[in-house]
Amino acid sequence: MSASSATPASISEEQRGIDYAGLIGKFAPVIFLLLVVTFFSFFESGFRTTTNFLNIIRAVSFFGILAVGMTFVILTAGIDLSVGSALAFCGIVCASAAKGSRALLSGKDEGGIHVLYAFLAAIGVGLLIGLIHGVFIAYLNVPAFIVTLGGLGAWRGATLLWSNGQPISSFSKDFTHWGKQDIGQVPIPVIVFLGMGLIAHIVLKYTRYGRWVYALGGNAEAARLSGLNTRQITSSVYVISGFCAGVSGFLLTSRLNSAEQVAGQSYELQAIASVVIGGTSLFGGSGGVLGTLVGAVLIGVLNNGLVQMNVSAYYQPIVIGVIIVLSVYVDQVVKSRRR
Amino acid sequence: MSKSISEVTQRRATRRTVIKTAAVAGLAVPFMPRMAGAQAKYKLAFSVPGLNFPFFVHMMDLAKKHVEEKYPDVEFISLDGQENGAPSSTKQSNDIDAIIAQKVNALVISPNDVAALAPAVQAAVDAGMIVVTVDRNVTDVNTLAHVGADNVEGGRLQGRYLIEILPDGGDIIELQGQPGAAPAIDRHKGLDEILSAQDKIKVVVSQTAEFARAKAVSVLEAALASNPDPKAVVCANDDMAFGAIEALSDAGKSGVPILGFDALPEALQDIQAGTQAATVEQFPGGQSTQAIDIALAKLIDGKDPAQHDTYLTPILITKDNLADAERAVEAGVATPVASPTS
Repeated sequence: MSASSATPASISEEQRGIDYAGLIGKFAPVIFLLLVVTFFSFFESGFRTTTNFLNIIRAVSFFGILAVGMTFVILTAGIDLSVGSALAFCGIVCASAAKGSRALLSGKDEGGIHVLYAFLAAIGVGLLIGLIHGVFIAYLNVPAFIVTLGGLGAWRGATLLWSNGQPISSFSKDFTHWGKQDIGQVPIPVIVFLGMGLIAHIVLKYTRYGRWVYALGGNAEAARLSGLNTRQITSSVYVISGFCAGVSGFLLTSRLNSAEQVAGQSYELQAIASVVIGGTSLFGGSGGVLGTLVGAVLIGVLNNGLVQMNVSAYYQPIVIGVIIVLSVYVDQVVKSRRR
Repeated sequence: MSKSISEVTQRRATRRTVIKTAAVAGLAVPFMPRMAGAQAKYKLAFSVPGLNFPFFVHMMDLAKKHVEEKYPDVEFISLDGQENGAPSSTKQSNDIDAIIAQKVNALVISPNDVAALAPAVQAAVDAGMIVVTVDRNVTDVNTLAHVGADNVEGGRLQGRYLIEILPDGGDIIELQGQPGAAPAIDRHKGLDEILSAQDKIKVVVSQTAEFARAKAVSVLEAALASNPDPKAVVCANDDMAFGAIEALSDAGKSGVPILGFDALPEALQDIQAGTQAATVEQFPGGQSTQAIDIALAKLIDGKDPAQHDTYLTPILITKDNLADAERAVEAGVATPVASPTS
């Protein structure tokens, strides 16, 4: 109405109605998830039950927790390829702490306070791993891809070294309680996963630190020139990722009643996929944790639904790969239409 | 506020030094044990698909022990075919090329893939190395010998046991191994052979859990949602059976019989405790010691093996014959037999 002559026509166009394309773009991951859930629910009665949904989210939570930490990393335009191996190493150290020694089949898990020590050991190792990566990436300026690629191999090797290639199994009920039991009807890992997701969301959207993370990812040089301590922020996101690996390592060991050498294998790829499907850009600066939660659940739903429909194991990775690419493609196409 | 040029150059130099030192250190580490044992008369290399599987760890440990105890002149070189935590045919092939260059005398190998490893193994044979395959075979290479377990027969044992414990039949769930891996293919083949010859027992779900415990939990959970009442769960290895135990007990179905394969110590303990029904023993230790004996007999004494292929017959292990398992003593389910000299 009283727009100045310099106002471009496109703005008044958008002000006229609801930006449908923009909405679809923003909620593309959720829409995709709903489509897939509806599809499976229609074909498989076993899919539609509450127990099954809770099972799906519990199966997802082990790499989902990693994905929450990965969101922070990817928001700064970094990457953490080591989270699966870090999970395994945290798991094996935590298992030893629970058993009171590096004993394998022998050694008793006394339960009680040892479980707390085990949990703290897992967290501690995770934080340490994150710190090591953070220092190399932020202070020694080695690219994140390389550092965490090295970590991928090194922490897996450390896991093998720690227990001589053997798994550590058989824990007390106090220990396995955390991975296996429910609070109310909801499995504990699900509560931890969604809880951590919620806290991460609040931190990213409503705290100064969160804004710093977005600023760093959006334009690292501008962030530095604005006075942000970019090195500290960069290393902090890897510490967060390491922390998540520790939590997930403890929960997975508890769930499986065993700390294995192959634990967490390829979880880093599933974590990254969850983050990207959820709409966070690999180039940093945009996205969020809520999208990651949706992305992770989508992967879990696909895994579960395809098994229930007894789809041949040879087709499953193809189907999952195609759907992942499609969902991100749709997201990109719709986003690029909003100028 | 801009950094001086010399400061930047200095930081770059520090970074380069750190990276170079780390690279050199990293390259040197695998060679250190070999440099220490340079005086041995013969060198034998033992290669497995991946030491991230306890099964291969056990095989490697026994092989090493056997060589150290019985053949003091022979230096034992351990080759791990895993790359980033998964068995890799490429890594295994590259390791073989490396030992050909090092002029190692004998190679005992469990190849990750029947065809992919063939070129590297053929190259070793052509270079004059004595090659014996163990546990898994390679196609179309004239190795000295093969010592293996008949995985197809192992699958048949599982099938026959199912028929024995389920006289009235019923629906069962099968968890297969790594797609494309020879043991997974063979075990499934043997099981399928026995089960398709009868019609009381039906395999309602046959999915892969890739020999992994965690995957078995999530795959079985999903399968139970649409097939809540299986009469048995048969797994192509013990690791998946352990996952199945967890998934079934979480679903409140602890009584369902679970079959595994490999006779790992944890499985033997589970069978004794009653949480697992049976497993198959294929004598990996026996295989590797026999393979080493054949290779070294040819290398040191020039003796050829009696026949090219030696197959150890697998046996089914249940609660009644736990002591027959190779690792029964290690698992604590059997007491060691007193040695004659004690």
